[in-house]
Amino acid sequence: MAWYDEDSLLTAAFAPRLSAIVVSCLVALLVPILLHYFVYRKATPTAQPTFLLIGPSGGGKTAFLTLTERKAVAQTHTSTAPLTVEVTLPDGYTPNSSAFRSPGDPAFERARRFLLVDTPGHGKLRRFATARLANPANVRGIIFVVDAAFVAEEPGLNATAEYLHDVLLALQKRSSSTKTTKGPKEIPVLIAANKLDLFTALPPHLVKLQLEKAINQVRKSRAKGLRDSGAALAEGDEGLDEEREWLGEGGEGDFDFTQMEEVGTAVSVLGGNLIGGKGSDAKAWLEWIAEQL
Amino acid sequence: MLDTFEILTTSGVVLWSRAYVPVGANIINSLIRDVFIEERIQPQSEDAGSKPTYRKDGYTVKWTSEKDLGLIFVAVYQSLVHLTWIDKLLDNVRALFTGLYGQQLKKEHTSVLNCDKFAPYFERQIQELEGQSDASSSTTANAKLTPPSTDNESAEENSPKQPALLKPQRPLYDTSADSTPVPTPDTSRPNTPGQSHLLTGKGRPGQKLSRRDRKKAAGLNSAPASSGDEASTKRKAKGSAKKNRVWGEFGAEEEDDSVLDYSQSDIRDDASGNEALEEIRPETWGRKTNKGQFVLKDLDEEMDQIIAEQNAKKQASTAPASGGLVGSSLGAIGGLFRNVVGGKTLTKEDLAKSLKGMEEHLLKKNVAREAAVRLCESVERDLTGLKTNSFTTVESTIRTSMEKALTKMLTPTSSLDLLREIQTVNATGRPYVLSIVGVNGVGKSTNLSKIAFFLLQNHHRVLVAAADTFRSGAVEQLRVHVRNLKELSKREGGEVDLFEKGYGKDAANIAADAVVHASKTNFNVVLIDTAGRRHNDQRLMSSLEKFGKLANPDKILMVGEALVGSDSVAQARNFNASFGPGRGLDGFVISKCDTVGDMVGTLVSMVHATGIPVVFLGVGQHYADLRGLNVGSVCRLLMN
Repeated sequence: MAWYDEDSLLTAAFAPRLSAIVVSCLVALLVPILLHYFVYRKATPTAQPTFLLIGPSGGGKTAFLTLTERKAVAQTHTSTAPLTVEVTLPDGYTPNSSAFRSPGDPAFERARRFLLVDTPGHGKLRRFATARLANPANVRGIIFVVDAAFVAEEPGLNATAEYLHDVLLALQKRSSSTKTTKGPKEIPVLIAANKLDLFTALPPHLVKLQLEKAINQVRKSRAKGLRDSGAALAEGDEGLDEEREWLGEGGEGDFDFTQMEEVGTAVSVLGGNLIGGKGSDAKAWLEWIAEQL
Repeated sequence: MLDTFEILTTSGVVLWSRAYVPVGANIINSLIRDVFIEERIQPQSEDAGSKPTYRKDGYTVKWTSEKDLGLIFVAVYQSLVHLTWIDKLLDNVRALFTGLYGQQLKKEHTSVLNCDKFAPYFERQIQELEGQSDASSSTTANAKLTPPSTDNESAEENSPKQPALLKPQRPLYDTSADSTPVPTPDTSRPNTPGQSHLLTGKGRPGQKLSRRDRKKAAGLNSAPASSGDEASTKRKAKGSAKKNRVWGEFGAEEEDDSVLDYSQSDIRDDASGNEALEEIRPETWGRKTNKGQFVLKDLDEEMDQIIAEQNAKKQASTAPASGGLVGSSLGAIGGLFRNVVGGKTLTKEDLAKSLKGMEEHLLKKNVAREAAVRLCESVERDLTGLKTNSFTTVESTIRTSMEKALTKMLTPTSSLDLLREIQTVNATGRPYVLSIVGVNGVGKSTNLSKIAFFLLQNHHRVLVAAADTFRSGAVEQLRVHVRNLKELSKREGGEVDLFEKGYGKDAANIAADAVVHASKTNFNVVLIDTAGRRHNDQRLMSSLEKFGKLANPDKILMVGEALVGSDSVAQARNFNASFGPGRGLDGFVISKCDTVGDMVGTLVSMVHATGIPVVFLGVGQHYADLRGLNVGSVCRLLMN
């Protein structure tokens, strides 16, 4: 049977027959519907404001996440995977955007909801955090959780400062690489000085001072350090040879967090504790979140 | 005894835990760090029979994980205790937990899981397994024998149905079964002193019932029986129905009266009231009453069902679908389609071919076979049982997973800022000592001078110690380097000098002298060059331990050349082990990277073998051709 025969399949498909018309109509109608259904199911747009929890391992990121989610701190261990949780701001905190709304307003309830993203803090697993920082869609703020007792000693302080330096640098790069004059959306950073219940913990203002000092050191030694191998190994790819980044203002002056405001990143340091004899105290941090919402 | 059992998610939230003896959180934290993140300890595959173990601070930790749901099940116990049933417990609990809460766990955007009700299941498992291991020697063997076993078997049948009734008397009963093969009539039983101290008053009627039942069963199987004709059919029907229940075996071995028994004491009363009922009712009813009344039995049954279900599911997923011709071809087409579109659940067979290709690719990039195999295994572990995303093929999934594995492996745990470290050490008032070791001809002296140049640029005062007292011309070579560096650093403001003691002296002593000299003459960095040595020559390697002790360097770097092939693994391992216990290498310098193009596999091999990060890369012939490691670019090179 050749293709041009009267009753061959191909001819039948193009002939003005009822069956051909019905089939083509069905296809024409169903395909868009199915496609829409498929795409709609796949892509659930989440326009919810997001807060990133970042910080070195053992600071209390996951503990803070469980506190905001279930009003009590759950037992936690070192994280190896990121975790996103939908949270409602506890009663008593009013989101900044709905300061004039009444509590019964459904918009008020909606405004209180946000996503909290926990990232692993271990040195080998920071790519989750850096990936989120490189593309901070919907990110309203970054909570950098610091162990205030860990920071009191030199090695802990250095490790923390290096991570914070990298985070701030990523934020600065984001604002300096924009093409428009307006600049990207502001992303404030909260340095949550955790574990203030411990005897050896530094008070928040000292945490701030120490971190500023340490970041100053970090950026100095980074500037002097060796360039990395990226450009040298990839021959002929000159686009990789990036310039050294310098966090904060140029010049001889010391680094302090107010310099970050110029690039759309206000840094505040607030203290609290999640575990402790008198229960947890995360009021300041939740108020900060409410302010950003 | 088990100290702690925890069920936690990969994101670090403990979902459920039971602590018999409090164990510090650091035990499990270090398990996660060492095994899951840094992969210092090689986990054996699960097929090996036993679960992997991890030891820390006198505790033994065993774990198992459920990748799909991101769960880790951890059991911690004292290393002194030898618990054989932990593996089984982990398996059973995993099956139970995923069966019970699998659906809830799939919910997005939450970390809360309400699993308060898990405790009784867990307790039951512990009891069962503990009892099993305790009595496995005596009673299980007995239960399979013929004449006395009639008695035992009936007990087994009873125990699931009336665990509460049987439990208090079971220890006694078991011993009696061991000693006297023929069951004694129940009338005499209550008078025995051993029983009266074991049983509570409430337990008596219930116990009576069970005795009678057992006797009936005994009568059924072994002819001489007094009564029990009216219920014999019922017994029979029940017995046949229950025969294939798996856990009926453990039931008889339960010896410990634990919490569950006490809580059931009131039920015993009901049971005694029920005694008559059960005799009268037809067999169809028996099950129903049991269900309504014996919660424990319910739990057991349910638990058993869940475990069986999960096991069946696992088997179904591992066993290939064997349908007819049409079924298989359809399946093949579907598989092909899903391979392209995605949404395919990956099995070992799916991965095998692509992983083979990936392994070949890595070998071509000069990764040692051992490292390539391990990387592929870790990717396989990662991906088996996962679903591919839509519109991604198996190959691309493997690719991304491999990239992740490489990144994780190469990324250092802590920062490698040499300048910071020098600053910290100098703040304590002593010079920073860095020494370099390696095989012959890899470029130790060259890289040492490159590091010296880098430090001179940062205005450090560097003392180079020539501790290679073996090879002809080694000291002269360093002298030339130092002269060049002096010339170069004149304008920069650094200062460099050579510390030499000629040939033939002991290297360790020279190094120690150099450190003393440096602190006297206000040098703040000491770089020690050592003689090259073959890594599998015990005689040469043994002197390194003394060297490490005497010179006590802050950092020991090993130079490995990028040209070396699969020997890199052995090199790294032997050098790392040569400094004695408690001291190892602190980093690698990979030299001659410019000569290999994109075949930078040596980096991976060396880091794989030891878990020690790469600090510097030598990328050229000049003093300035020293670079830090850019993990991203190396991964790109390897995956291209």
